[in-house]
Amino acid sequence: MNRKLMLPVLFVIAATVAVSAGDLGGKVSGVSGKSVVYVDAISGKPFPPADKHPVMDQKSLQFQPHILVVQQGTTVDFLNSDNVQHNVFWPSIGGDKKAGHNLGTWPKGEKKSFKFDHPGVAPLLCNVHPEMAGYIVVSPTPYFAETDESGNYTIKDVPDGQYTVTAWHEGAKPKSQPVKVAAASKSDFTLSK
Amino acid sequence: MIRLPKLSQLLPFAGAVLAIALPLTMPTRSHSIPAFSRMYNTSCSTCHLDFPKLNDFGKAFKDAGFKFPTDDESMIKNPPVMLGAPAQKELWPHSIWPGKIPGMPPIGLRMNNFFQVTGEHRNEFQFVPAGTTTPSVPTFVPRTNFETGLFSIFTAGNFGSDIAFWVDDDISVTGENGNGGLGDGYLRFVNLGRLLHLPKDSLSLRAGQFEIDLPFSPARSWNLSPWDIFGQTNVGVTGVHNVSNGFTLDTPGQGVEFSGGHHYGGYWYSVAFINQNTTGVTDPGAFVPTVTGNPFQSDSSFKDIYGHFEYRFNLERDKDSRRAIQAAGKMGPRDHTYISVGVFDFYGRSVNRILGATSTGAPTLLTAREPFYRVGGDFSFNYRTFNLFGVWMHGHDHNLIPIDATGAIFPATPVSFIAGAPSTFSGGFLQADYRALPWIMLIMRYDGVNSPEDRINGLAGSTDTPFFAPVMATRNRYTPGVQFLIHANIKASFEYQVRPRQQIAPTAGLLNPVTLNPVFTKPFRVNTAVAGLEFVY
Ligand SMILES: [Cu+2]
Repeated sequence: MNRKLMLPVLFVIAATVAVSAGDLGGKVSGVSGKSVVYVDAISGKPFPPADKHPVMDQKSLQFQPHILVVQQGTTVDFLNSDNVQHNVFWPSIGGDKKAGHNLGTWPKGEKKSFKFDHPGVAPLLCNVHPEMAGYIVVSPTPYFAETDESGNYTIKDVPDGQYTVTAWHEGAKPKSQPVKVAAASKSDFTLSK
Repeated sequence: MIRLPKLSQLLPFAGAVLAIALPLTMPTRSHSIPAFSRMYNTSCSTCHLDFPKLNDFGKAFKDAGFKFPTDDESMIKNPPVMLGAPAQKELWPHSIWPGKIPGMPPIGLRMNNFFQVTGEHRNEFQFVPAGTTTPSVPTFVPRTNFETGLFSIFTAGNFGSDIAFWVDDDISVTGENGNGGLGDGYLRFVNLGRLLHLPKDSLSLRAGQFEIDLPFSPARSWNLSPWDIFGQTNVGVTGVHNVSNGFTLDTPGQGVEFSGGHHYGGYWYSVAFINQNTTGVTDPGAFVPTVTGNPFQSDSSFKDIYGHFEYRFNLERDKDSRRAIQAAGKMGPRDHTYISVGVFDFYGRSVNRILGATSTGAPTLLTAREPFYRVGGDFSFNYRTFNLFGVWMHGHDHNLIPIDATGAIFPATPVSFIAGAPSTFSGGFLQADYRALPWIMLIMRYDGVNSPEDRINGLAGSTDTPFFAPVMATRNRYTPGVQFLIHANIKASFEYQVRPRQQIAPTAGLLNPVTLNPVFTKPFRVNTAVAGLEFVY
């Protein structure tokens, strides 16, 4: 078979074999600034974690980025780019105190890695600089997105089906609601503090 | 021959002794710097354990001239205003060397309030002077007091070129519309040694008005009551000593100070030359220049000299950690485990002036420039959240006694002075701080001052609050305390001062004319409870 022809053919086959999918979008209102929206665990459907290690940096006494969303099972690299010592710990993940962990201290330029197997939000703290705050949102599925500043989000290629979708915003009560995805779908949230 | 003092002779000293007593009732000045919180967008606890007590990082920040020891600029969230582009340096001396000022006025404010309860045993002290029937000490009405402490403004920062500044001024102190005064106000030229190619941080210069570099700063103390030894004056016994030295180590001095080293490890030294501001009791005659309105308080060209040397051994096993500003622990950075030892010495002159006569009998003002010194040692041991530290000190005043032409001491008309028996005192403190939680600090402290002269002077001065005055040869107290950080900038403090009860000796045959009780000459010292609430912002 002509190799040039093979790829498009495979694509066509894949598209017809795979479940049809669409973008899930909407708006998170009631809060200002960025929020995170993710599709909750789908029973009986595990997802292989991403190979890439996203980086959570500590620079000029701040966690950067302030919010990092990763898929469950992803390893995050924690960096210290400051000339002062920092510490990283999170008291819980998704409210589960057993998932709390202290990574310790390390000098500038070095990194420490941690694999996030527990879904939920890990509030990052530094026990030297109590004003430092960061968040790692561990999504149980690869279907997640950060909103823009005005609250709009789009989760790409969500397979058709019935899901629970959760919206999270720093300092607000997270909200979960059922969503039926069939091709392009819409789900809006209104959060409150 | 030693004469016993009469009350009339003692009265002039009452003022001096009250001056000793008053600072004890006043709050200690202490500061943390909200301006830095704003500039770096960071919490008080980046630099403070229990404000104003500094942690290792705070010590390094201060040593570096109110800057992050490295990468300071990348930490500043409110950029400074440049007073000249950096490239102006290339034009110098045909341009002004570029500096900078903080991007926003680096102003911090502080306010505190107190509540004090004083023990009732005060009335068992009824001093009736010999030859009188009236107690010299009025009956005390037991009371509790709410007391406003002070409202203070302070500013500090860095002007670039490693020039640090600090100014704090108490706008109001104790009571309605009371006027305060300037605390410290100085410029510090950090790492001046680089111009002389000396090792880094080995020479800095401070100029202005500042608290001398004591091992533990009374002005920046976190205790409610001051460390007694640093507030000790030396007022000798009338008729025995001609010593009336109102100098205390905790008063700010005006002058210059050279220093070098680090407070977070290794050596630290400082040598200061400050105004002789130790004028004792002066003759109220027209000869004495008034200090009021005179900006220069020093009454001679002699400058008092203060030196302090300290060495701190960081005891971390890990070599990298040992050399770092903060030790790295499993759970995060923390203060080092360390032991530091130090010595300090103050040498000065105290001026006493009395009316006398020349050899021809013409009245003149005689001036005795009394040499005196204060020498001491200090240590501090820190293990994680436990800190044990202390100071021991010895004070010595030379004692120049007036004589007449025949050599008789304390004559009606003296002509000169001879050296008498020195007037001395000694004492110190031992304090343990334990941070049970990041916001709770437990304090146990012992203060002792042994001054043989205190008792005599204390009796004369005890017209108001003798329980604060040094009324016994040995003045000591145990002061347990606890402090709570309600927020990083709001603190509630409590302390209980326990003054051990002394033996009471009734004076034979002397009765109090009011109560008809025997008159006691060895008074009680009463206990005091103090609560304080303070905030900075
Ligand atoms: Cu930090």
